[in-house]
Amino acid sequence: MASADILSRNDIIDLITAYAGSERVPPKFKIITDTSDFYRVDYNDVVLLADTAFWVKRCEKEGRFGIDEQPKYWVRRAIDLQTGATKILKLVFHEKFDTKIGDIVIKCFRSPKKEARLLDLVAGHDQFMHGTWTLDSAGNIIRILDFIYGRTFDQLLDELGNDHHDYFHNHFPKLLTHYRELVRAIKFLHDHGEKHGDIRRDHIILDRERQIYRWIDFDYNYMHGESMFGFDLHGLGNILIFLVGRGDILTHDLYHQQRPLFDSLWGEDLNISYKNRVANLEKIFPYIPASLNRVLLHFSQGAKIFYETTDQMLADLAIAQDDVATVTGRTS
Amino acid sequence: MSAQNFSDIGRRDSERHLLAAVDESENSRRAVLYLADFFGDYRDVFITLLSIVAEPSEDYFATEGERAEWLSDKRTTMDKKLAEYREILLGAGFTPTQIDVRLVIRPCTSIADAILEEQDKLRCCIVAVGRRGLSHNAEFILGSTSSKILHHAKHCAVLVVE
Repeated sequence: MASADILSRNDIIDLITAYAGSERVPPKFKIITDTSDFYRVDYNDVVLLADTAFWVKRCEKEGRFGIDEQPKYWVRRAIDLQTGATKILKLVFHEKFDTKIGDIVIKCFRSPKKEARLLDLVAGHDQFMHGTWTLDSAGNIIRILDFIYGRTFDQLLDELGNDHHDYFHNHFPKLLTHYRELVRAIKFLHDHGEKHGDIRRDHIILDRERQIYRWIDFDYNYMHGESMFGFDLHGLGNILIFLVGRGDILTHDLYHQQRPLFDSLWGEDLNISYKNRVANLEKIFPYIPASLNRVLLHFSQGAKIFYETTDQMLADLAIAQDDVATVTGRTS
Repeated sequence: MSAQNFSDIGRRDSERHLLAAVDESENSRRAVLYLADFFGDYRDVFITLLSIVAEPSEDYFATEGERAEWLSDKRTTMDKKLAEYREILLGAGFTPTQIDVRLVIRPCTSIADAILEEQDKLRCCIVAVGRRGLSHNAEFILGSTSSKILHHAKHCAVLVVE
């Protein structure tokens, strides 16, 4: 039975009234069951999916390619009018594009089908966003995500510690523990033959309520080469370098502010993909244990071997965590 | 095992059976030219020209029609390319009975593993591949098929043509 047969316009007005009060019932709004044209879905419209009415609010935004706050018109914040819970509705948007990393081009694509499959897979796994999916009246796969209140990994880092030494000795050990949990979560996906597809530091949110770090946004996929998980591992490496360095250590900044350090760097010390970022952070922060730095060097221009699996990386990170505890006196 | 006829495998056991794993790239063409030049005069050499096409996951296609079109286009392109490689071998002195052509379109996580599976199945004594000459960065993110074959091949020699 179509949703519109279940809930009439008056039913929906009653639901909005019950949720927000009669004064907030919009004078005009559309009831949408086919979301194929997501630009048609406006603020205050109601999307009916199965037997549930979602009162649509603003578009979600995302910073990307150096442009902050790009609106994602297919990702809408919405109120589940039956429960009052805030949800994220992800409408269908098929997109294929090339991502350039250094000298290579990766064919990427957005897949609602993949994200729906992963939502089923990670239901109950703490380190991922959760949600359900359903089909709209036109057969589009709509993902209904639980809203996570909290900030992204990169937003949190700036506030930790007075300087790098303070950060590394007092905050980093715990962050490394969290990071390992996040890598184990990616291993969970890989073990099930799935990729995250878009591993970035702003795709990790610290869930304010539950105080756990969670991966979000896994509707991306990429055409892999011989190494199915290489791109995911590349993302994990970049996050680790960012984490250990308390942000990216840029050669440009070193050149202008710490010339002797800049002069000590060789090409092999730089990030394998981003030649303006330092990967060999032991040269910048000598108290970083060698075992941790060795993990970083897997993502450097000088790397002779690469991680092929998260297992390999996790094994090295376990050793690094022990050595970080020795240096800092903190286990987490 | 696929429906392809492997009845003459026994015969090939007594021959020098090469597996040339190729794709559309220029380095594959170079590998075929090398084999043609090197083995063109040998009557006891048998070459299987193999192309493994990794079928993208279902996620890649918005519709089943799009998927069918992709597969059809890919098959047409590779059939043409394999015919071209076959002509190169024939031009170098191979006889038609010395050449087999095999196109496999399948989901696979690793092309190298799929090639080695074929090598094992066909009992080839040499696997020949071209090498793309990937940058360091690309080898990390994409992985190298020729490197993986070099490291994982068993019971055969590996010929990597630069």
